[in-house]
Amino acid sequence: MKSKDVLGLMTNPFTRIAGWQAFVSGLAIVILMGVIGTYSHASFNGVLDAHFVQHMTFVHSFSLLTIDLICLVLIMWLTGLIVSKGFRFVDILGTMTLAKAPFIIFAITGFFYKAIDPKIIAENPFVIFQSLSFIVLMILSLFIIIWNITLMYNAFKISCDVKGGKLAISFILALLVSEVVSQILIYKLI
Amino acid sequence: MLPAYCPSCHSQLKVKCLKCENCQTEVTGLYDLPVLALLSSEDQQFILRFVINSGSLKEMASELKLSYPTVRNMLNEIINKIKTYEK
Repeated sequence: MKSKDVLGLMTNPFTRIAGWQAFVSGLAIVILMGVIGTYSHASFNGVLDAHFVQHMTFVHSFSLLTIDLICLVLIMWLTGLIVSKGFRFVDILGTMTLAKAPFIIFAITGFFYKAIDPKIIAENPFVIFQSLSFIVLMILSLFIIIWNITLMYNAFKISCDVKGGKLAISFILALLVSEVVSQILIYKLI
Repeated sequence: MLPAYCPSCHSQLKVKCLKCENCQTEVTGLYDLPVLALLSSEDQQFILRFVINSGSLKEMASELKLSYPTVRNMLNEIINKIKTYEK
């Protein structure tokens, strides 16, 4: 397989996989992410958020992931109903679930990340730039979030068959709304 | 493949002459090309496979090794092209 094909498959696997097949694969990755995240103390508290916390339980980890996924899928589906016609819910469900996959890298990173004491940061905020662990995490997080948004964008584009300005505007709005709704639900329920 | 557009100005071509290979009779006129002939060879091939697969997008997706929504989007694009040509 050529490197261009690999890049294409990494940023847009949905030309090949969608529906239940994508959902089952995506769900397996999300479950693995929840398990790894519990042990590496990764907290996925929002559609686009991920942090490291002091303590994490299975229930907390999976509750966060469930809220994230439900908010993302439902809001993308509702947006699809407004801007598109004749698409399947299962395609949105499957492709959006699989689009969460890059966050598994974040969960794994938790095993290697050495957190800086908040008291030290409070005294001198610039200390974070002296920590190699923090710099690597920052670069990796940026890569993960760009990859994740690219996947979600392509998932929405292929599942709902929307193009051009309508696609860009509806996707950005849906993403922002899902992020806000997930944050509110996490705050209220957990 | 039958040319559908003028190589010089890219306007839609029309059929001027048809010939019988058996008796050499020529029929001359100005006939519109059928809508399907205006589509690209890839689109024509897609329609052919779609008919052969009894109009099943699932079977098309499996044959082309593409996802269901990708194949449905390809079909939507062809439908839009046909609608434009019909206008």
